[in-house]
Amino acid sequence: MILALTIGILVAGAAYLMLDRSYLRAVLGFLLLGHAVNLLLFAAGGTQRRGEPLDGTDPAAAADPLPQAFVLTAIVIAFAITIVMLVLAVTGRAGDDTADRDRPAEHPEPRR
Amino acid sequence: MSLFPVLVTAWALVLLVPVLAGRLGPLAGWAGAAGLGVLTVVVAAGPASSPEPVTEVLPWIPALDVMVRLRMDGLAALFALLVLGVGAVILAYSTSYLTERRSGGFYALMTAFAAAMLTLVLADDLVLLFVAWEITTLCSYLLILRVGPKGREPAARTLLITVSGGLALLAAVCTIVVRTGTTQLSVALADPAWGTDPVFAGVVAVLVAVAAMTKAAQFPFHSWLPDAMVAPAPVSAYLHAAAMVKAGIYLLMRFSGAASAAPVWPWLLVTVGVVTALIGGVFALQRHDLKELLAYSTVSQLGLLVAVIGVGTPGALLAASAHVVAHALFKSAGFMTVGLLERRAGTRDLREIRGLFRAMPWAATMIVLAALSMAGIPITLGFVSKEYVLDAALTASGGPAVLAAAGLGVAAVLTVAYSARMVVPVMFGAPGELRPAAGTRVMAGTITVTAVAGAALGPAAPVLDRLLAGSAAASLSVPATGIDGFYAWHGINPALAVSVAAIAAGAALVAARGRVDRLLDRPLWPFTGVGAVERLRAGVIDLGRATGRPTAGDSPARHLLVPILLIGVGGTAAVALRAGDVAAAAGTSRASDLLLLLLAATGVGAVLAARERLAAVLAAGVVGFAVALWFYGLGAADVALTQLLVEVLTVAVIVLILRRLPRGFPRSRGGGGRRTVVRGALAVGAGAAATTAALAMTGWRGPSAASTWFLAEAEERTGGSNVVNTILVDFRALDTFGELVVLALAALVMTALLDARRPQPLRVLDDPAAPVSDPRANAVFLRTAAKVLVPFLLLASVYVLLRGHNAPGGGFIGALVGASALVLAYLAAPSDGAGRVRLPFLLVAGMGAVVAAATGLLGLADGSFLRPLHADLLGVHLSTALVFDVGVYLAVLGVVVAGLNLLGAPQAEGAEPLSDGSDEDRASEEVAR
Repeated sequence: MILALTIGILVAGAAYLMLDRSYLRAVLGFLLLGHAVNLLLFAAGGTQRRGEPLDGTDPAAAADPLPQAFVLTAIVIAFAITIVMLVLAVTGRAGDDTADRDRPAEHPEPRR
Repeated sequence: MSLFPVLVTAWALVLLVPVLAGRLGPLAGWAGAAGLGVLTVVVAAGPASSPEPVTEVLPWIPALDVMVRLRMDGLAALFALLVLGVGAVILAYSTSYLTERRSGGFYALMTAFAAAMLTLVLADDLVLLFVAWEITTLCSYLLILRVGPKGREPAARTLLITVSGGLALLAAVCTIVVRTGTTQLSVALADPAWGTDPVFAGVVAVLVAVAAMTKAAQFPFHSWLPDAMVAPAPVSAYLHAAAMVKAGIYLLMRFSGAASAAPVWPWLLVTVGVVTALIGGVFALQRHDLKELLAYSTVSQLGLLVAVIGVGTPGALLAASAHVVAHALFKSAGFMTVGLLERRAGTRDLREIRGLFRAMPWAATMIVLAALSMAGIPITLGFVSKEYVLDAALTASGGPAVLAAAGLGVAAVLTVAYSARMVVPVMFGAPGELRPAAGTRVMAGTITVTAVAGAALGPAAPVLDRLLAGSAAASLSVPATGIDGFYAWHGINPALAVSVAAIAAGAALVAARGRVDRLLDRPLWPFTGVGAVERLRAGVIDLGRATGRPTAGDSPARHLLVPILLIGVGGTAAVALRAGDVAAAAGTSRASDLLLLLLAATGVGAVLAARERLAAVLAAGVVGFAVALWFYGLGAADVALTQLLVEVLTVAVIVLILRRLPRGFPRSRGGGGRRTVVRGALAVGAGAAATTAALAMTGWRGPSAASTWFLAEAEERTGGSNVVNTILVDFRALDTFGELVVLALAALVMTALLDARRPQPLRVLDDPAAPVSDPRANAVFLRTAAKVLVPFLLLASVYVLLRGHNAPGGGFIGALVGASALVLAYLAAPSDGAGRVRLPFLLVAGMGAVVAAATGLLGLADGSFLRPLHADLLGVHLSTALVFDVGVYLAVLGVVVAGLNLLGAPQAEGAEPLSDGSDEDRASEEVAR
């Protein structure tokens, strides 16, 4: 229940940030969304059993190791993507305001 | 030789002939002609004369039961011989027709066309049939496109029509596979569902008919065929005689046994066929361009074929088979002659060519022979096949047959008239100037072959008996003994009477041709087929534009709106599916969780409220720590550690970015309030949906089967007791391998981006009085600590890497610890330059991928890529999984160092012009703008 609420708050925050004009805020929103999805993966494994999946843990109480492995790789990949997105923030035009680029780019089809 | 070698040889020609053309020029066509000619003989002597169908199978996608199934029965044999034989003749013709030196592309497409048609007619698998069908579509598109600028529009229109037909065929294939449960064509066609399920039979019949009619240029899809005439003569000849349009006829004949169970099939085919035959004939009478006239005559003749296939009796299918052969011969002769005329007389306009009989007696004779066969004058093959067609329509019973008999009778009159119109005016009068005949002998020779064959096979009709009867029998799946024989003379019967009447009426039209010309010399419709297709095409493009408009901008918000809405919809759907279970499952929450929720919520709130970038980043760091604690609380120490380290590194990298951005967020300018409300509503909706979805799927079942298996088996199978790590490096190493390739690519992308585009300048506060302005004094504590911590952290990172298999740790965490050490060293340094890590990061990241791949290849020794090898050395358990983990370590380290070096440098060096060359590039870019 509480985990689900945390996920909801993270998603709501992520959605709000991603729709912002500032590119940096959108990146932060992406980070939050990553957190939310990782927690959701954990939720899929069930949260009644929370023992470390290590030697010596009672298998009946051990958490599902598969979501953990997924999330571990997901975190690192999200990190790499975040860095790439951040690099995009500082290349090109000054600042990271995206609003004035909102207008639909009308590329009239070249008449052939 | 059996079917596979034949097919492989045909496709091999596609590679061989263009290579030869690079050296020999157009003469390379002889190699293609010889190849196809030999295949014709081989097929005729081998599988085509076998009394039983020849079948062969190779696995393709065995899991879906999709196979490369080949089958040659009578119908396939007829079309295969036509495709190969006519193809050989036309390639030989091309050797003298083509004058351009660069003919490789032409030959590649023509041989590919032949090979694809061969694949199509041999295919006994629906998927293979569809693929071959689409290849013929593409070949014709590219052949028309090859003409140059004037071919572009017709090529696009042709593609539009034939591809939409391809979609209909795809729909038919899917429906058949789902209903009959097999992709094997011969089995699917024999399925009882055709008889018992009228809806299925009707739907498939219509889809197949539409697909075939687009290819066979039936009304209202006929416009592409005359449009495609811009292609050179050999292409037109092949397209009209044996390839493209005949693919449609083949499909109709292939399905005529099964699909005729649907009542819609005969009516649809006969109606469309008769209409097409009539309008094609009228249009042919209207044209002055010989090639256009021939194109419309093809439309008309194909209409006749479609109508007679619709009649559907054994006699009708026999007639269709015969007329396919007759049409292939006289039409290829016709188009090739027009090509020759164009070359020698410089025109193909009926009103300009005169005195052909005196100027080019041989070619004139041949075109007359072709026209006689087309008009159905006794006793050419065209006459015999038309007798069969009329006879089939007159003797069959039912409404469609009556319609076919009436329509085809009138069409026969038109055929006689336009055939005569093609030859009568051009034969006599004073010949115009001709170009020399040099180099056109081969053209004349190939024309002779087809024209004479088309005429002489009439009296020699019994030669074709076996082939045609076999084809008719195979299309209806009946024994060949039930098919009437094929012979030249039928005696006096109603069909002959109709033929004679048609010839007489046609002759009358020819005699009155001046008046007919004046009558028809005007637009018959208020619009043209080409115009209609053009409007359709513009409509499709407009639709595409309208669809893309909501996301036609480069603001991230525009593009993220859709995924966010989808999250909302998905969550709502998840709840709707499990209505009633929205309450939390028992035992999924603990009291301590509340603290974590509070921490995360505070962090998110702080991110949203932050007015300055630095504050927002720090608040995001708080959220990251809260999530790391969540992971720890959920029993994932490994993941929590990773999250913690990633959080530290993320903040470090963001701070490097912040130096180049303004302090505050951009202010909203007007209309901000409404936008905020919409964003807020969307955010709350997405959050609520995510919560309910999580509730619906959390904790409703016991441990998963995978979980139980891993916990029980992991240690015994891998020698590692840290189950998560064994999953990463042993069981699911391929995932991990893919991931570290992504990491290496990320390093590469960053380098490329900063090489290509100058980063924004640093915004350093130039205030000497500020307490932080002296980096040396400022970082004294950090520097002192770093002296101890950096070596310690580096050692620790190696230790964590090594112990990962048995305790929390591993390549990811080890690398992140090591990266933290480097970040610390960077932060402690007094200047950007001094703090840089002198590490070739691209090499490190690349080595990571290479090490992992090499370890994976070692696994092949034990039978599988990435399977770890184990050994016990002096009581210590060793595994190549550890080496794999070293690869992971290197890749992660490479990415972090890349970020640090590229963004940490005061002015990324890559942004400076690298050489004179890039300066020139930039200059030329300016000019281009």
